[in-house]
Amino acid sequence: MESEIRSADASTVVESTDDDVLIRLDSDFSEDGSYGTRTLTVTKSTISIVELSGVRSLFMPLSSVKSARNEPLVGGGRMEIATKSGEIVPVISYSLTLAAKFSEAARGIEQLAKGEELLIKLKEEKLRCEKCDRLLPERDGVCPACLHRGKTMLRIGQFLVPYRAQAISLAILSFATTVLSLAIPMVQGSLIDNVLRPQHNVTLLLKLMAVWLGILALSSILQVLNGRLIAFLAGHIAADLRSAVYRSIEFLQLTFFDKKQVGAIAARVTSDTDRVWGFLVEGVPFLLLNGLTILGVIGFLFWTNALLAACILVPVPIVIGIGAFFWKPMSQMFHRVSQKTARFHMHLNESLHGIRVVKAFAKEDLEFGKFRHRNHELRDAGVSVDTRWYTVFGAMTFFTSLGALIQWTVGGMMVVSGKLTLGEFWRVSAYLALVYGPLQWFSAVNQWFSRAMAGAERIFEVMDTESESYGQRGSHRDIVGEVEFTNVRFGYDKSNPVLKRITFTAKPGEMIGLVGKSGAGKSTTINLLCRFYEPDAGEIRIDGVDYRDIALQDLRGQIGIVLQEPFLFNGSIAENIAYGKPGAPFEEVIEAAKAANAHNFILAKPDGYDSMVGEKGSKLSGGERQRISIARAILHNPRILILDEATSSVDVETEKQIQEALGRLIQGRTTFAIAHRLSTLRNASRLIVLEKGEIAEIGTHEELMNKEGVFHALVQTQTAINEIVGIGAGS
Amino acid sequence: MIQKVTSPPSGKALNGMNEMDATEIRLFHFPENRLRMTISDQLSYVTVKPVWAAPLSHPDQFLSLLNGKGEEITTVSEVTSLSSDSERAVREELRRRYLTPAITSVEIARCEFGITYWTVQTDRGRRDFVTQSLQENAQWISERHLLLIDVDGNRFEIPNVADLDVRSREFIERIV
Repeated sequence: MESEIRSADASTVVESTDDDVLIRLDSDFSEDGSYGTRTLTVTKSTISIVELSGVRSLFMPLSSVKSARNEPLVGGGRMEIATKSGEIVPVISYSLTLAAKFSEAARGIEQLAKGEELLIKLKEEKLRCEKCDRLLPERDGVCPACLHRGKTMLRIGQFLVPYRAQAISLAILSFATTVLSLAIPMVQGSLIDNVLRPQHNVTLLLKLMAVWLGILALSSILQVLNGRLIAFLAGHIAADLRSAVYRSIEFLQLTFFDKKQVGAIAARVTSDTDRVWGFLVEGVPFLLLNGLTILGVIGFLFWTNALLAACILVPVPIVIGIGAFFWKPMSQMFHRVSQKTARFHMHLNESLHGIRVVKAFAKEDLEFGKFRHRNHELRDAGVSVDTRWYTVFGAMTFFTSLGALIQWTVGGMMVVSGKLTLGEFWRVSAYLALVYGPLQWFSAVNQWFSRAMAGAERIFEVMDTESESYGQRGSHRDIVGEVEFTNVRFGYDKSNPVLKRITFTAKPGEMIGLVGKSGAGKSTTINLLCRFYEPDAGEIRIDGVDYRDIALQDLRGQIGIVLQEPFLFNGSIAENIAYGKPGAPFEEVIEAAKAANAHNFILAKPDGYDSMVGEKGSKLSGGERQRISIARAILHNPRILILDEATSSVDVETEKQIQEALGRLIQGRTTFAIAHRLSTLRNASRLIVLEKGEIAEIGTHEELMNKEGVFHALVQTQTAINEIVGIGAGS
Repeated sequence: MIQKVTSPPSGKALNGMNEMDATEIRLFHFPENRLRMTISDQLSYVTVKPVWAAPLSHPDQFLSLLNGKGEEITTVSEVTSLSSDSERAVREELRRRYLTPAITSVEIARCEFGITYWTVQTDRGRRDFVTQSLQENAQWISERHLLLIDVDGNRFEIPNVADLDVRSREFIERIV
């Protein structure tokens, strides 16, 4: 970290300056590369680094800074400052945990050095839970150990409200079932005491048998009803939860989807909801009923004979202990087996998908080797978990049975000495099983509960995230198609604008080509136009009205998009064409398909318009998918049309057909087209050339070519590259 | 279509350029924070960035030296073949560029609520971290070589699980 700029008196402890600290950030690596803390401090005029000891190891005036950047390193990064004298000074290293903050800080330094307004936001992020100091799995997220369980439980409980009648009946039925299951040993006890005796009392026997039969019949009916209720509640609550989450996700801002992976979002709809309803419908009754049963039975045992009860319950703590001790490692092992199974499936899938490659390289043996490895891994994991399971289970059984042993020893002696009747002895032994059975599982409940709560939190997080503002519905406005950008600034990350000072007007029916290198801001402009995102500054007007005043549904209803990789939904061709206008008459669908040059290839398919397109349209070729998406846009009949690289992934013949179709589609609509191959934009009314987020040039193809500016240079490069690129070129 | 052959980079020439005699290479820091290189005292590079070609499967081998633009100047297949001064300089630079710590012992590894909390000792000091879904984030590079990736993408390497103490091994055995 030494450089000429380093302050000469590195040993002096930093005095507090009058300058306000604008940026202060702690890193997690010390100067020598081990973990430690150093602090970056930026004021209006200086940058300094202070070690944990208070020693200032770097100090430079902000006026000497030319630019600040973040050099990505393996497992972290380093902030570097380029000085005006051409020196590159490494400032501070940090791990990936802090990378986002330091890149924010670097932008802040640049903004300050240029004398611009400080636009960055260095939010204080929680890495650890405030209560228990555990690290958080997501920054600023919920600590799974310290959730507001009461509050969350209450919120989950709301999902029961529509089914309160069923829920209450379930509770009552379950209670009745439990009581009935306790009644049978009573009958049996009385049978032993009063019937199975030297003086035969057949009438009582028959009476008791009738009671027993009654109880049996009743409890069976109750169990059937119980099961039906559980099925009903489980199904309905699961469906309600999934709908609620999905509906919330649908209306979320796109920024949410930028940050999370599709898989993780889908998991919230499926597995997180499963955890919650599973706990609600199965966990809660399990806890309540078994808890009640155990308390009741223990009370009854003590009431029958306190001494005997105390003796036979001695192994209870041991059983609970074993459960608590082994539950977690056991569940981890089961988890591991399921992971190995997943990996096994993945491998199997992959090798079958790649079977052509395997055969072409004659690598069957190699693949079998890998397969065998995974297979054995799975086998070993399965064997080891089962081995462990049966050992633990055996120990459990031993201690559970010990209860019975004690009961026979102590109880037996009591019966012999006449302190206990045989019937009472029988009842005690029957109830014993009711205690020991569920006891083994109680230690699992806590984990069950925690998981459900964590799932619920994730669900509620989605539901509580701010959704898009949809504006007032019903205020329908027919768009003519004038689009006006005024001084628009936007960044996905607010401190880092991707678009700056964008100003242009597209007249109704004009075709505007957006041109520029990748990353220049073409797609971002489109995203803003569709209002997937809103400008940070400036205005976008459609027909002279700020587009935020147009209801979102209305706006998007009149914008059509044809993408490079069109997304089709699994369904028939006709359904896909009619996606933007459900219930359109079939004639219109055919009309649209004809205009899109799709009619002929559709007719060539055995099922014509009823042919299924497969998942994401996989049964069609790229050009076919493209023409269907054009037909979809034609039928949708938007006033504003967006073509995002619509012709780049098809062969020449198909492209001709698509170009023709597009020619028909853009008639009379305001069109924005992005194309990588600049020659395809020759027909555009005007071209907007973007460079680093700003408009470099605007004009017709001809004007820009004559001007020999940025656009001309782009065309030149492209022509040059087209000549060189070819398979095997240069060998 | 017949392509015009512009510059025929023959395989030999490439190898000759990219694998030179390691003793001809001199690496040093000047100023303090910039790694420079001279080759045979004829060629000089003012900024050199060393990167491992395959840090996981071939640790300490195949060190690629890049120029300021990120283009390869040469590859050193054995770092030890450099002169001791050069080796020291390049290792210094590598330590600055590779912030992946090697775990020397596992103090705590607890699975709770579907995530795993770790407290480990590494060659860079003690560190706490959290991993989610170990199926993806605990990668076995080889039979004994393990890579853990935390929720932020930080990587923690265990070059050889068998070298750890018994307690650490038990944690790994149980959790991963």
